[in-house]
Amino acid sequence: MRAISRSLRSPRVMIALGMILCIGCAAVFAPSIAPHDPSEQNLVSLLLPPAWASGGDPAFPLGTDSLGRCVLSRLIYGARTAMTVAVFASLGAMLIGSVLAHISGYFGGLLDWIIGRAVDVWMSFPPVILSLILMVGLGTGLDKVILAIILVDWTRFCRVLRSEVLIVTRRDYVAAARLLGFTHWQTLIREVLPATFPLLITLVSLEMAIAVVVEAILSFVGLGVRPDQPAWGQMIADARQYVYQSPSNLLFPMLAIFITVAAFNLLGDGLRRTLDVRLADIGR
Amino acid sequence: MITTVLTLLGRRLLAAVPILLVVSALLFCALRVLPVDPAAMSLPPTATIAEVEAKRRDMGLDLPLPQQYLIWLKGALHGDFGSSIQFRRQAGSLVVETLPATIELSVLAMAVATVLGVGGGLLLFHLRNSRTEMIADLGSLLLLSIPEFLWGLILLFVFGVLLQALPFTGRLAPGLSQPHITGFLLLDAVIAGRFDIFWSAWQHLILPAAALGLAFSPAIMRVLRSSLFDVYHEDYIEQARLRGLSEGRILLGHALKNAALPTLTLAGVQFGFLFSGTLLVEVIYSYPGMGNLMVDAVRNADLPLIQTVGLTYCIVVLLINTVVDSLYVLLNPKLRVR
Repeated sequence: MRAISRSLRSPRVMIALGMILCIGCAAVFAPSIAPHDPSEQNLVSLLLPPAWASGGDPAFPLGTDSLGRCVLSRLIYGARTAMTVAVFASLGAMLIGSVLAHISGYFGGLLDWIIGRAVDVWMSFPPVILSLILMVGLGTGLDKVILAIILVDWTRFCRVLRSEVLIVTRRDYVAAARLLGFTHWQTLIREVLPATFPLLITLVSLEMAIAVVVEAILSFVGLGVRPDQPAWGQMIADARQYVYQSPSNLLFPMLAIFITVAAFNLLGDGLRRTLDVRLADIGR
Repeated sequence: MITTVLTLLGRRLLAAVPILLVVSALLFCALRVLPVDPAAMSLPPTATIAEVEAKRRDMGLDLPLPQQYLIWLKGALHGDFGSSIQFRRQAGSLVVETLPATIELSVLAMAVATVLGVGGGLLLFHLRNSRTEMIADLGSLLLLSIPEFLWGLILLFVFGVLLQALPFTGRLAPGLSQPHITGFLLLDAVIAGRFDIFWSAWQHLILPAAALGLAFSPAIMRVLRSSLFDVYHEDYIEQARLRGLSEGRILLGHALKNAALPTLTLAGVQFGFLFSGTLLVEVIYSYPGMGNLMVDAVRNADLPLIQTVGLTYCIVVLLINTVVDSLYVLLNPKLRVR
């Protein structure tokens, strides 16, 4: 815990948390910040440029999209979608992945073998392909996107955490705890988990970045959240079609995704440095 | 030595077969339990229930799942992957048509990623202990935050829309038609001796390949830098310095060669990811490869096509990883002794 409070004071983590807090506030208070209803169509003012450009309307600070919907409002509500997916998908994937990793690394033997092979098979599906196939089966919707990301990404946690659990389990204090009469359950929760926790939260923050991207990708392809729910990927797909008439519409959701992903990555990097987590490049 | 590597490659390929079987079985089951009826979909909406039932029997959908899988597997081993519902054509031939485009894109993208990754890694290492190190480090972290999806859009925005310097839809300019020889457009253009086609194809490839390359280079950069750091702790670097070699020669002639190995492994893993990353870039640039075929199939719930394309992606990625593994042995003498 002391390590965590120390890492909270590192500049990287502070900047990242500040950025995430801003995006989070936009997400939570979307109804009171957004100037318009995000799905309200104004068919007389289609594809307006931002307010500062010539021909812009101050009522639509960042302009309107191809259906005359307010881009700023959709961005703010899109933050809601992105943050919901980031939080729930990464926590879900963390829960499944870390439980399996702890079982696998701590008990070893046949369980370890089975879980290891499952991870192998799972990871031979390229993540993008697997999530697309899952979305065919699950159908569109916010909860389905979250579920698909969990089902694809639990392996990231499982693979990385398992080797950490293996190392920790061989430490003397874990053996001592067993000798003192701790049950397996107690040993795992009170001795092993605190040692793997720094790696765990680092992975969660990196996974949040991945989840934001995957949500954007799925919405971009049209297989993400339902069409009536604003999402950054959808805004990009819409703007891609009218890119000559209104290039700014493409720019804003891209910036939103970039800032959010960078914030989560910065947080992950800061945590990794300050918590002294050994983490090779975990790939994408 | 070559024979050792070849036997190893063969053994690894054999080991990949069970994984492939499990993957194909999983894919098959996953797509069969979906609430979509391929029989009803392949008939016009006016078909009667009896007709749908007959079609179901005809397609073998009334059989138990394991038996269906075996029938499919038998067909697949003979090159018959079933026919696409929306295109009413063999799924296998659709994949064969689009695969070369995707391979062309991914190979070019990998070249971009390697050049940028190695160059950037050397630069990052060169800047160590300097005042700009912090900035360069943060810069590479920010670069790592831009996935191929965003790079695709950024390049499209800057070079396609703002500067209007390069085309960003399709594989060729509208007036030109592709010579069908190998399916690899650049190669075909050279064989056919059509410089205009080559130039147009090249222009269409630059943006998507650069987008993918840019997205996958930061990881290579960072690994190269950290393995260079490791190598510089070795005695032979100090030795080279004592012999009076210039820093540049030490870096390029001695350190880079030894730091290349971990970088190569990572680059191989990245190539696997990159290959599946083509999907999004293809969608963004409307590039007629396997990615667009996949998305098309997924949007229309075209199960046989999804299955075939999905399996092709898995096979290619497995193949890349296997070859990289064997290449690693070829390049690392320490592993060859065993």
